[in-house]
Amino acid sequence: MPKTDPIAERLADGDPLAPRDLVERHYAELYRYAFAMLRDVHSSEDAVHDAFVNALEALGRYSAERVRGMSLRAWLYRITLNVVRNRVKKNREVAVEEVPVVVEGSGGREGFMDALDALGRLPERQRAAVALRYVLDLPYAEISEATGWNENTVKTLVRRGLGNMRTFMDIEEEKG
Amino acid sequence: MNEISDERIAAMLREAGEGIVAGKDFVPLIERSLADGADSFFAADSPLGTMYVVVGERGVRYATPLPASEEEFVRHYGETFGRLVVPAEETGGMSEKISAALAGEKVEVAVDFSGKTPFQRRVMEVVSKIPRGEVRPYSWVAEEAGAPRASRAVGSVMAKNPVPLIVPCHRVIRNDGTTGNYGFDPERKVRLLEREGVPVAEIARAPYVATPTTGIVCHATCHNARRIKPENRRTFRSMPAAVDAGFRPCKVCRPVAAA
Repeated sequence: MPKTDPIAERLADGDPLAPRDLVERHYAELYRYAFAMLRDVHSSEDAVHDAFVNALEALGRYSAERVRGMSLRAWLYRITLNVVRNRVKKNREVAVEEVPVVVEGSGGREGFMDALDALGRLPERQRAAVALRYVLDLPYAEISEATGWNENTVKTLVRRGLGNMRTFMDIEEEKG
Repeated sequence: MNEISDERIAAMLREAGEGIVAGKDFVPLIERSLADGADSFFAADSPLGTMYVVVGERGVRYATPLPASEEEFVRHYGETFGRLVVPAEETGGMSEKISAALAGEKVEVAVDFSGKTPFQRRVMEVVSKIPRGEVRPYSWVAEEAGAPRASRAVGSVMAKNPVPLIVPCHRVIRNDGTTGNYGFDPERKVRLLEREGVPVAEIARAPYVATPTTGIVCHATCHNARRIKPENRRTFRSMPAAVDAGFRPCKVCRPVAAA
């Protein structure tokens, strides 16, 4: 029996400060997730904003009983992945040019951007699984909860994802 | 060629995880998520005591006299409107404006009527225009809202008014001139109206006033009616009685001849 989330309890009880605490508690990690998937500051900010708006609106509609039992963290990850997925789809439709990647607060391209670029070339499920496993450092059980995929599937996706990334990065090294 | 190991990639991704930090505008982004995903509330003084007022994107959605607890208020709002509500950080002058409106000053406040039927919306708009110090009967509101026979429906719209005082449902009285209901506390309606200078007892005796100098009959609180000299005042309990006596309805306050 998983422990209930104190913020879920507070939301169900009508604590007026609970929604803000929820957003503050998860903003950084969801941003990290969105950025790992999108590699662009503004798209990532927009994605996290949209994810929170969707989440808050849904929480407003749900009954107190339903909210009380929710695993909010995993649920927020799922919503974020959906938003990211829709943004990627939309971007593909309007064929937006690749935006140059700059990590805010740093002087320019960091070494890890090569890894993120390689991550960005993975198929979506592999990308999400690898991002959650290493960029977010989540254990497999939580990744499974955050994606709705079973643990073995997640492990397979991570293994394949890493394999593909290795190929991409080896090729880049050869070229360089 | 040195092959990159899985461990090396994992380490780079972990490094990325630490390197990705939300921009410096972290706080405004949190505020924007909350502002777009939830409504906000604040407390304001009013003639009914302290009230909690909820503002959404399109204006005021709800106002209620001080609830038992903030938690109860948040739960009730969620059940009624299906939205979360958080304490307002910045209302852009809205809270001052609403406090002024609650105090009875003449300020335009945007009210969010989404979720209301067109009829309910028209009724709320008609009632919004009844000036301070004046009252109108339910039947008049029905007529003005384009549904002359819907007097009772007007009553139920008033009973469910989510924004009391801001839409002044206390200024709508029964067709016979008595004040009628107001939530759980009809006395409150009397006190509110007296505060606004409405001669409540007088109107209960005679809701219509006419003068032979012009041959016009008004609602007793119409500003034209209040200028009638005492010696010329003719009072009526109903409009048919006034019409029978040869008076025609005032064009400003438009009393309903059949009422």
